[in-house]
Amino acid sequence: MDADERELLEQTLRKTMTGTSGTGLDTALADLGWTQMLAEEPDTAVPLVFRLLGETGAHASVLNDVVLRETGGPPGRTPALPYTGGLWVEWVRDGDAGDRPLDPGLPLRRVAEGGPVPLAGGRRALGWWLLGTGRTMLALARRHVLDRQQFGRPLASFQALRHRLAETHVALEGAEAALTAAGDDDTSPLLAKAAAGRAALTAARHCQQALGGIGFTAEHELHLHVKRALVLDGLLGSARDLTREAGTLLLREGRTPRLVEL
Amino acid sequence: MNTADFRRELRVWLDAHDLAPGDDHGLDAQVAQLARVRRALWEAGWMRHGWPREVGGLGGPGVLRAVLGEEIASRDLAEPGIWSMVEVLVPTLIDYAPPALAADMVPRLLSGREQWCQGFSEPGSGSDLASLSTRATRDADDWVVSGQKVWTSLAQYAARCVLLARTGGPGHDGISAFLVDMDSPGITVRPLRTIHGVDEFAEVFLDDVRVPGDRLLGAPGDGWKLAMDLLPHERSTCFWHRIAHLHSRLDRLLADGCEPDADSLGAAWLDLHTARCRSAHTQRALAEEGRLGPETSVDKILLATAEQRLFDTARDLLPGAVELTDAGTWRTEYLYSRAATIYGGTAEIQRNIVARRLLGLGKE
Repeated sequence: MDADERELLEQTLRKTMTGTSGTGLDTALADLGWTQMLAEEPDTAVPLVFRLLGETGAHASVLNDVVLRETGGPPGRTPALPYTGGLWVEWVRDGDAGDRPLDPGLPLRRVAEGGPVPLAGGRRALGWWLLGTGRTMLALARRHVLDRQQFGRPLASFQALRHRLAETHVALEGAEAALTAAGDDDTSPLLAKAAAGRAALTAARHCQQALGGIGFTAEHELHLHVKRALVLDGLLGSARDLTREAGTLLLREGRTPRLVEL
Repeated sequence: MNTADFRRELRVWLDAHDLAPGDDHGLDAQVAQLARVRRALWEAGWMRHGWPREVGGLGGPGVLRAVLGEEIASRDLAEPGIWSMVEVLVPTLIDYAPPALAADMVPRLLSGREQWCQGFSEPGSGSDLASLSTRATRDADDWVVSGQKVWTSLAQYAARCVLLARTGGPGHDGISAFLVDMDSPGITVRPLRTIHGVDEFAEVFLDDVRVPGDRLLGAPGDGWKLAMDLLPHERSTCFWHRIAHLHSRLDRLLADGCEPDADSLGAAWLDLHTARCRSAHTQRALAEEGRLGPETSVDKILLATAEQRLFDTARDLLPGAVELTDAGTWRTEYLYSRAATIYGGTAEIQRNIVARRLLGLGKE
């Protein structure tokens, strides 16, 4: 896929995700050739589709496909996925959410403990999703601080808020670099999802603060992204879990792996 | 030579040539070691890769210098801060000095024959560098410079100084840059005692120092541009060196038998890994586009944060290693890491740049 084709695909996907979510989006993505893209160009398709899910606030059950591709099992199933704290969930494909979930959009259901699941591909995918969610929170907060006036000047002119948003940007950029560098090994996707989870939670904290009262209401869309970040962070290992796992690996190896080279 | 071949052949050479430093960690010894390593690398050619032929180099991509610095840092052959100074000084000379001057001077620095320093900050001009007040006045073909510099690394060892001085009115446009010989009459250097016990920084007093006209770098008024142009060099190659050094310190923390706190160690590694990924991305951007902009403030913030977290972690997990003993380098390096959010543009200045230039939040 060349740059123009990629750009066109991004526009199409963004438009589709802006109008459709859930099972409808599953169907639309299938029509756009998601299965083939995932099989043939996963390094393009996964970052693009999952980042756009985050940016648009839509959702689809494509994480199942990414995980199943790695297991080599038949497509269409819903594998049990590890959640933080030793819990397990299933991303149901019929759109029927579980009991009183935090993020009512996501059809996640608690299930009994599942079998071993390859995690690297799913972690990379969720990392891109978290990155997109974080970018949208930052965009919403940026718009708000530029528009809203207090004390006779825009919120954007106050250094305390500028620095919160700068901090958010830095966390997101760092996460994107880690995601871009993540390979097919186990460790670089682990670190990349940890970075992305942490960046999304940083975005949630700072952007919520910058949005003040309006960001605490359901009238503003921020809360949807905050909740999504919280839920996606826990899936396939939270930033806290993964950071600890990275530390355990260091203690076992006795040396710091250099995972990217020039 | 491609990067992978360069790295492999360099490692073979370094394995065969013992350049390990002695036990003396004092500044004199560090500077002598730096000169020794440079001399050996220059003679063997390694120090010339990635620099243009006009200044004694062998050509090739600049990324080779990042690889060289990483190997030097990973083997602890030279202190990474002073090792990396050439990465800002040499590009400045190449871009701004008259070609003959650059051709004459640069090999002296790269070969370890000379140390140079950089006279930017002043007592009244830290973050607000553009307010600097050291003045250079024309006198026939020469310039006469008076004023005071501070935080000038290695000034007491330096043969030359890239100096910023005011030749015009207030603000950015009134600043010019010079290559000044440090043995010129009228220059007094006083090393500063600092928190980490290494007198690496100095005050430099300039009292009617005569600088020949051909030592002007660029045109009058180019000083601010020169200072801004060196940031990409600092924030690509130098940062890669420093990140490599910090990885070696995380290794040392593990080797020194730290408390097995997986959360803290993982967090330190996560920050370092993130900074390394970002820096690799920046190296590629520089190679492809030939320039870098305000986005390198992101690299600066990631690196400074990672550095302080690493040494905070070391202090936590090696209790007493900073406070109760000065064996090893944990105390010195812990204390030095406090400066990571101050030098090269403070953490606050970097966030101001991110807010203004990258997020488009307008003026404060």
